[in-house]
Amino acid sequence: MATPLQTAPDRTTAPGFIAATPRIAGIRAELLATPYSICLERPRLLAAFRRSPEGRRAARTEHPLVRRALALSHVFSHRRPRIYDNELIIGNMTSKRIAANYYIEGGSINILEDLFRLNRRAVPLKMGRTEIAELLTTGVGNLFRSVGARALLRPGRFSYFLDFFRAKRHFVTEEAGIGHQVGNYRMVVHQGLRSVYDEAAKRLEEGRLGDGSALDADQRAFFRSVMITIEGIRQMAENLAIEAEGLAGRPDLPEWRMVELLESAAACRHVPYQPARTYLEGLQAVWLVHVALNLEDFEQGLSFGRMDQILLDLYRADIASGRLSVERAMEVTAGFCLKTCETMPLYSERVDQFFSGNGVAQAFTLGGTDGRGSDVTNELSGVILNAYAQVLTREPAVHVRVHRATPDWFFEKSVELLQMGTSRPSFFGDEAVVRALEHAGMSTEHARDYAVIGCVEMASQGRTYNSSDAALFNLPLCLELALNQGRRFRGRARIEGSRRCGADTPPASAMTSFDDVLEAFRAQVRHGVDDMVKVITWLEEVYRWHRTTPVNSILTEGCLQKGRDVTWGGGLYDYTSVQAAGLADAGDSLHALKRVVFDEKRLSLEELVGILKDNYRGHEDLRVELAAKLGRYGNGDQEADRMTQLAADAFADAVRAHRNTRGGQYVPGFYSMTCHVGFGKVTGALPDGRLAGKRLSNGLAPVDGADKLGPTAVLRSAASLESRKWMNCHALNMKFDRKTVQGPTGRRALVHLFRNYFSQGGMQVQVNVLDAETLRAAKRDPASHPGIVVRVAGYCAYFNDLQPDVQDEIIDRTAHGLS
Amino acid sequence: MGSPEPLIFSLQHFCVHDGPGIRSLVFFKGCPLRCVWCQNVESWKAEAEIGFKAHLCIACGRCVERCPERAIASPGRRDANRCRLCFTCVEACPSGAMTRVGVRRTPEEIVAELRPEFPLLRDSGGGVTFTGGEPALFPEFATDVARLLRSEGIPVALETGGLFNPERLNPLTAELQLILFDIKVFDGEQHRLLCGSENMVIKENLRSLVQATRLGQGPPVWPRLPLVPGMTDGPANIRSWAGLLRDVGTPFVTVVPYHHMGTVKRAWLGLPAGPDLRVPGDGEMAAAAGLFASEGIRAYHPGEEDFPAEATTGRASASG
Repeated sequence: MATPLQTAPDRTTAPGFIAATPRIAGIRAELLATPYSICLERPRLLAAFRRSPEGRRAARTEHPLVRRALALSHVFSHRRPRIYDNELIIGNMTSKRIAANYYIEGGSINILEDLFRLNRRAVPLKMGRTEIAELLTTGVGNLFRSVGARALLRPGRFSYFLDFFRAKRHFVTEEAGIGHQVGNYRMVVHQGLRSVYDEAAKRLEEGRLGDGSALDADQRAFFRSVMITIEGIRQMAENLAIEAEGLAGRPDLPEWRMVELLESAAACRHVPYQPARTYLEGLQAVWLVHVALNLEDFEQGLSFGRMDQILLDLYRADIASGRLSVERAMEVTAGFCLKTCETMPLYSERVDQFFSGNGVAQAFTLGGTDGRGSDVTNELSGVILNAYAQVLTREPAVHVRVHRATPDWFFEKSVELLQMGTSRPSFFGDEAVVRALEHAGMSTEHARDYAVIGCVEMASQGRTYNSSDAALFNLPLCLELALNQGRRFRGRARIEGSRRCGADTPPASAMTSFDDVLEAFRAQVRHGVDDMVKVITWLEEVYRWHRTTPVNSILTEGCLQKGRDVTWGGGLYDYTSVQAAGLADAGDSLHALKRVVFDEKRLSLEELVGILKDNYRGHEDLRVELAAKLGRYGNGDQEADRMTQLAADAFADAVRAHRNTRGGQYVPGFYSMTCHVGFGKVTGALPDGRLAGKRLSNGLAPVDGADKLGPTAVLRSAASLESRKWMNCHALNMKFDRKTVQGPTGRRALVHLFRNYFSQGGMQVQVNVLDAETLRAAKRDPASHPGIVVRVAGYCAYFNDLQPDVQDEIIDRTAHGLS
Repeated sequence: MGSPEPLIFSLQHFCVHDGPGIRSLVFFKGCPLRCVWCQNVESWKAEAEIGFKAHLCIACGRCVERCPERAIASPGRRDANRCRLCFTCVEACPSGAMTRVGVRRTPEEIVAELRPEFPLLRDSGGGVTFTGGEPALFPEFATDVARLLRSEGIPVALETGGLFNPERLNPLTAELQLILFDIKVFDGEQHRLLCGSENMVIKENLRSLVQATRLGQGPPVWPRLPLVPGMTDGPANIRSWAGLLRDVGTPFVTVVPYHHMGTVKRAWLGLPAGPDLRVPGDGEMAAAAGLFASEGIRAYHPGEEDFPAEATTGRASASG
């Protein structure tokens, strides 16, 4: 219903940006006032399908690929369409205004840990009594349908299953879902899903692939799954069209709204099956496919890619014909941005320690170059930036590609958005990113068409199956294990006894040189990575039979050519991307250990290990000296930076030695979500003066407080690291005091700072602009400080959604630039 | 005061309030003024000092054990009369609680440490600013550093409190692209009370530096007024300075809001606490700017000045 529209709050107006319309401000206010919840429609529909005659028949007779497509198609076509007041882009993400989908195939079951306090959590989930009961039966009833259970509740694998509850060496997120994709939205917008549908039909009719080879049974099943899935998406769009027409017919509706609803109905009858004809239809097509993708696997990191490139022709044609004004284009785009706020991930408070902030990072990538390396930043890049400036919400994510020819106006505009305090956009250096993608096997042209998946992960858009963020790895723990023959310093005896959890490396007394220590460290990293890969391998098997992803396959080049689902290796480029936490702690620890034990010979390695096992008890002076007086990564100190490189290489080389079961390369990255907090709790004392249990360093950032020379030195250290092997990128998080970067002076300073960083070969940087006082106040009194967005790791979150210790970290981090 | 070779007590990078562009700051130790609101009290003495940062101290007692003069009774309690400033305690201190303020460095060493910043300084139209303390107390040394910097294309600015011997400044001014000239309290008697000296020389130096600019014999001069509530923000003070600036021929000024980020440093050096001062609010800043404007002087926030072009472009050596 048309509600009286409110005026935009102050935060949505900024100099240099066109302010939000009352419509956008109104929807935004409504979303900010809506409590989070859990949507059970998807499991309900899946259960209904299983019980239906059709579902029972499919279970008996159909290929798993087809069975899965039928089930998903049932969800798409039977979910109830919901259109909210004044929306220009329609299509509900869940059955509620803001809710997490419950994925029975994945890790959603972790929420049962909070079952009896859902409404009282730090971030409450509003659920009625009967809903909570349904949540319990849904969770328990589907316990053995999850990928994790199918893969690991087996003889000899049970301890790996328990690792989900006691993550120490690694956290395999692929159990929850794969998600993480930048689909081929260029095809969706310009050819429509029809192009894929027709191609699949043709392959089935001919019984052959495009290259002439005959289809096997699996390939036939794949093409059928594609057609069934597209039919489901079409029906979902049709249902929305009918709903829109129904609403348009209501007598109390003003004329203008009726026109809008009919326009939406017409759009949903046309896209995403047919090619979009207008800018609005382009966005509507992308949104509908995005919803389908969300309903398929899980919600993490599903990204839109380079919308300023894909939609540019439609935008220009609409502007030229007078059908669209710049202001209206911004309004439609801002409305699209607000739609992304309808979803959130489902984490129990325990899991939230590792992935705090309720972010899923639905990302736009703006700017950059074409396949020949020429700049393609355009007016739509600016329109999309402005649209996000009108909403400043926790979703979507906005990423900006930077290269030598990035125009100043766009860079300055991007930093101006950054100054507004939502930590967006983050910046990516084309030179380093393209180099890493080429190193991972992409053609130069495809590498240059990269877009960011979710937080920082990278793909050639529409051509890559990254399974990124498959697992997080605790790098500093490997040093602990290396110093103690593969055992943790203080394993919890009750659970693991003195069980060795790492490789059998020599005792400290037998390591007589730094190289011995380094070799033991590398051995532990290899051993840990091997173990992590083993778990992922088991999961991949299960995916192929129980959790295939036809929507994702439709959106990934290569699948139609090969007749294979992405989980079967259909993607043109295939990787498994994993990332390490605690890089700087590992590097600084190697550095400190080398200095005091082997260079200065102040104590023996055994003595140092004894002190670490004792968590520096009685040696506080040594501890603070190691932390405060030795050179550390983040200060442009070449020796310290070299040790960080050694630690990074140990991980990168161990990871790159593996291939996944689809034939794709494993690739490494360095970002930690908030796993550096969770991993820190189980990691013993480190030679860099870090006490047992304290959080580890975050992504590529220096250890908290270790950087003494300010942001230029931090960036210099970061850029000095060789990043060619890091196809899974890194997150370098900097926090600036608001005062430091305010106004035109601050804006210009940041532009110069980042240009300089990228000219040194920097890969990625992201910034929190805030003052500690504001955050302390927000921590004390969350209710009076809604909507503060901070960047936690690669993604953004509302400050109030964070765990208290993560809030403390944000407050504590050095405020750069203050003298 | 003013040995030819000063001590340097800090280098700071990515600064945007002390001249055009992004700048690195070199802090010279030693100052003839003693402004009561000073936030860099470690710059006062030209000699090296030992500071004690109590919040970092873990009371390990290494300083007490190692001091050859037995000058430290317990951590943080150092008998300054016994101390011969050998800095053994600073070296022994694991946490950095005992810290040395002021290190002798050659011009080459200073430039080497600044060099990684050069690309950023150049690209942003910035440079290096000498500050302190009073760099003008060490004109020969400052000239050497400035020459090295300029030979690598890095513009140099001087921030001065204005109390120096103008005859000795000459070779230095030829190497500078900009002089940031701090003005504080106009009334001589008040100035003596609040800043520890007369201000006749300061006003004279301002006048003659601007005169030199006009004759093409020196770099542009840019006045700056720290706005300290109750001390420099009185209408009379602002009007008087405005009059002088008009008269001298610099109808612009940067109004720098007082901050108390450095208050804790007094305790580090064992100095008595300074007066309890407020940070000026936006309203007070605007009022000061308005008052200047009414006197025909354009007031700027730090970092937002329209510096003359020659301040950013590495002006050719002045005729002198």
